[in-house]
Amino acid sequence: MRVVIERLSKTYQDRSGQSVEALQSIDLSVEEEEFLAIVGPSGCGKSTLLNIIAGLLTPSEGDVFFDGLRDGSHPPTAMVFQEFALFPWRTVLGNIEFGLEERGVAAGERHERAMRLVELVGLAGFEEKYPHQLSGGMRQRVGIARALAVDPAVLLMDEPFSALDAQTRQLLQIELLAIWERTRKTILYVTHNIQEAVFMADRVAVLSRRPGRLIAVVPVELKRPRSETMLGDARFLQTVDLIWGLIKADAEKALVSPEGG
Amino acid sequence: MRRVMAVALIAALALAGPAAAQERKVKVGVLKLTSSAPIFVGVEKGFFKEFGIEPELVFFQAAAPIATALAAGQVEVGATGLTAALYNIVLQGEKLWIVADKGREWPGYPLVGIVVQKELWNKGEVRSVKDLKGRRIGLTTLGSTFHFHLGNILEREGLRLADVKVIPLQAMPSTVEALKGKQVDAIMVPQPFPGTTEAQGFGKILAWAGDLYPWQIATVFYAKGFAADREKAMDFMKGYVKASRYYHDAVLVQKDGQIVPGRNYEEVVQITAKHTGAKPEIIKIGFPYQDRNGRLLVPDIETQMKWWVEHGFMKSLIPLKEIVDTSFIEAAIQAVKE
Amino acid sequence: MTEQRVPVEDRTRFLERKEFKTARVLSLIGLVFLWELLARIGWVPRLFLPAPSAVVGEAVEMVASGELFRYLGSSLLRLALGFAIGALAGIVVGMAVGFSSLAEAVVMPVIAATFPIPKIALLPLLILWLGIGEPPKVAVIALGVFFPMAINSFTGVRNADPLLARAAVSFGAGRWSVIRKVMLPSALPMIFAGLKLGAGTALLLLVAAEMIGAESGIGFLILHAQNIMETTKLMVGIVVLSLLGVFSHWFLTWLERVAVPWKHT
Repeated sequence: MRVVIERLSKTYQDRSGQSVEALQSIDLSVEEEEFLAIVGPSGCGKSTLLNIIAGLLTPSEGDVFFDGLRDGSHPPTAMVFQEFALFPWRTVLGNIEFGLEERGVAAGERHERAMRLVELVGLAGFEEKYPHQLSGGMRQRVGIARALAVDPAVLLMDEPFSALDAQTRQLLQIELLAIWERTRKTILYVTHNIQEAVFMADRVAVLSRRPGRLIAVVPVELKRPRSETMLGDARFLQTVDLIWGLIKADAEKALVSPEGG
Repeated sequence: MRRVMAVALIAALALAGPAAAQERKVKVGVLKLTSSAPIFVGVEKGFFKEFGIEPELVFFQAAAPIATALAAGQVEVGATGLTAALYNIVLQGEKLWIVADKGREWPGYPLVGIVVQKELWNKGEVRSVKDLKGRRIGLTTLGSTFHFHLGNILEREGLRLADVKVIPLQAMPSTVEALKGKQVDAIMVPQPFPGTTEAQGFGKILAWAGDLYPWQIATVFYAKGFAADREKAMDFMKGYVKASRYYHDAVLVQKDGQIVPGRNYEEVVQITAKHTGAKPEIIKIGFPYQDRNGRLLVPDIETQMKWWVEHGFMKSLIPLKEIVDTSFIEAAIQAVKE
Repeated sequence: MTEQRVPVEDRTRFLERKEFKTARVLSLIGLVFLWELLARIGWVPRLFLPAPSAVVGEAVEMVASGELFRYLGSSLLRLALGFAIGALAGIVVGMAVGFSSLAEAVVMPVIAATFPIPKIALLPLLILWLGIGEPPKVAVIALGVFFPMAINSFTGVRNADPLLARAAVSFGAGRWSVIRKVMLPSALPMIFAGLKLGAGTALLLLVAAEMIGAESGIGFLILHAQNIMETTKLMVGIVVLSLLGVFSHWFLTWLERVAVPWKHT
């Protein structure tokens, strides 16, 4: 299944009633089993794009299609949030089961599937804990497990690791890659971190500062499975430099322009 | 707590010496009801002053608080109805003395009336005390004179208090309102309320309670300290005997069941109207009976206590000699010549 | 000048709050002891302040005769009924108002206008409408509980994290699912704060209601004991009432721990 984004624009009113153009005519498609990263400076509308794909925002213009969807009864996407957005009143297991509940999966099967995911994300033994009893890294594992539980056609990840400390972030990146290798989900991964995008993705879509336009889609020529040693790889560094070069001018303009940031 | 502080204050004053006593002021706790008329007469006609006493009237809303105020030392003399509260105060170790008659429920003298809803009367549903069975009867409080009276009337008719539903409504005006609003079927209230309900058309006086069960409803009682000041207590009593005779001769003399107004009838009506704030024509509906010399129905006090004990409002009886002292009134009757 | 070696001390120590547990218990025991002493040596007449021992004795007697439980029973029934009706209505209205802006537009002005009315003042009106008896007593308690519950539920829903609602929707939750699984649990801590607030109000209104036209209940016991000057019984009534307050608070705190485990584990 492919995600097709056609001439997508989003304009909204800010508090003072002024129109703010967040996205401008985005054309992009995400292939089946592809890991696509979206990078761009702060405020470029990356999250807006993800929310439109998730059906949480109405675009001003353009459309998003799921091409070749087999079952249209449920949202084909599942989201992993930067702020985790776990339900504080649900245990680890309860959070993971949430999406399954909404799909009417029977309790027994729900539990079984949730338990498999607890294993997958390495939270065995923490099933009955509440989110506030977990560290940030563990919370986001729950967030990932909750999203994977509904077996989505597309996994949407909105800066999933940016609220974590650097060490945890790197560990989770590798873990996520391992999970991806096993599940082969289509992943749309929003980040402002170019290294992260290049390290994890098959292709990197680069957005400009507001209004967010698609500057380029850069393919990453690193073989899979990826490992930390590749962070020193010449091809890795070149790709990072290439993307940085694309963004740099734009980011510098944002620094001096009062509208930016 | 105010009462406790009052006790402390009175104690302090008592220690301060007899300076206050020389003024011969006496604080008297009364209600603004027709039944306080003998006290009002004594004040207005200067009968107390004749004996060097200057009564200072302290007005209350209900009878029971007067007994409490007496125990707390806020008043020295009480002149009001006998309630379970008064007996319980004595039972709990505070001494006071019942010394004279201050009003009786007596046949032919309207005081407390049993009033039913006009509608129930008209439909013929309640025409006698027996018909009150199962009805809701409003009165001020449980343990009040009304409660005692109602219980005894019912028992005379072969009923029990449990056969009716007694609704305590705290104040007399709200008791009348409850009848008006049909929240109760009948009420027991003193004059002038029964007359008012008939005048306004929502009530019908079923009977005057004194016709059904006469008793010593109100008395004069002394605080322990006041009684101990024998001379002062005697002088107050002398003035009271004089007032009582004056009151009796003016408004209580009957012939063939009709009041024969005495020489001072109008004067007593005016005095009572002045102190109660009620209109003279309402005062004229009737004055409560009391002994001409202010003599108590002593055995009735024991009957009352027995009834309260039986009905669980008192834990035990008080020996009469520990609560009744007729020596003041007897000596005063002798001392005050006609 | 000689050089010194100065150890660093924690200069915030005086800000620490210590737990004087024994002092807490002792102050309470001391008060009761002093009170007993004052009563025993007769400084305060027992008519006005009966000794604690006498109050306990009276309470034991009233328990043995079944009198106390009769009074307590009718009070608890009124409390339970009034509380249940008021709390349920308050939660439903508060949540509806918090969730739907139409409901807010319709209901909020009414609540804002009626909320400041002291509910005790409505008692005579309720008696006029509903007659003397149980209905006005239950109604006034329900009213007293309704307002804090409605306002707290409303605030609870309003303060719910919108991100959680969006997360729920992203996983396929519809309107009712969001209300039940996001709004309600989000509002629960506020709802419990409302319940505790309402419990105090309910107790106050219970006593007030039982002082008009009642012939049972703890409020009646207190007023009746005062009417017939049985001060010891009056004190028993007050003690039972304060125990009722303490226990209802404990009960709600316990219930909160059970119902809102994520705040306490």
